[in-house]
Amino acid sequence: MEIVRIPEVHEFSPEEQQVMEGMKGWYRIDFVPKMSRVMRVHKAFGKGYGRATRRAMTDGALSRKQKEMLAATVSAVSVCEY
Amino acid sequence: MAHVAAGKLQGYAEDRIWYELAFTIGLTHGMNALADALRLSPEFTPKPGGTPLVPLVEPEAAPPEVKVVFDEAAALFAMDRPPAVLRALAHDPGYLSDYWIAVKGIFADGALDRLTKAIMAFATSVTAKSEYGTDFHLREMRRLGASERAVIETLEVVQLFNGFTKIADTLRLTPDFSTPSGL
Repeated sequence: MEIVRIPEVHEFSPEEQQVMEGMKGWYRIDFVPKMSRVMRVHKAFGKGYGRATRRAMTDGALSRKQKEMLAATVSAVSVCEY
Repeated sequence: MAHVAAGKLQGYAEDRIWYELAFTIGLTHGMNALADALRLSPEFTPKPGGTPLVPLVEPEAAPPEVKVVFDEAAALFAMDRPPAVLRALAHDPGYLSDYWIAVKGIFADGALDRLTKAIMAFATSVTAKSEYGTDFHLREMRRLGASERAVIETLEVVQLFNGFTKIADTLRLTPDFSTPSGL
């Protein structure tokens, strides 16, 4: 159970809602993940960390799918259920 | 959980890929734990003066079945000597031989190629703050063809997701994906 209430998409500004909608396409899913909403609770943090993440996860020397596997590896080693 | 699902959606759809990833992480973590606990010096950026907490079996003095493992390991990782972590395990030749079957079976091309496994082993080592593993698998990444750009990209993703996991754990976020398949 979360220790905070996670705001719904409609509670954010139109600009932030647009960014969150973009996450659906990025992850090929039909909902906005909790982490995407959590990040946007703090505008500067969400903007900077979100942009850095998008930049880092784009195809480059490593493929996007290798990078998603890296994220899964970090989550496994950190025993992170989310 | 979320990034297993994301990885599947990006094209790593087969379960055998995720089994191999899990075995790669497990073996890496196990060897790193032993190496760091025994204070083994990093293989490729050695620290002077360190003394392992158990003696390392010398290749010249190793019994034949241990020598076979040592030779195979040196060849697999392109080293001029067997890795210290295997030398620490070599006091029990039967255990070492059995364990090595698992190691060489996983650190070979399979559902995932060797380079991808080396990248994941490096990420495992950095995340667990393993000095021995970080040194070992960074060298292995580079040896298998990773560019310096690939190393930096790996570090960026590892850093970001070490942050994400702590945010999720602090807030006790429950998974977005909860079906048995992870999707």
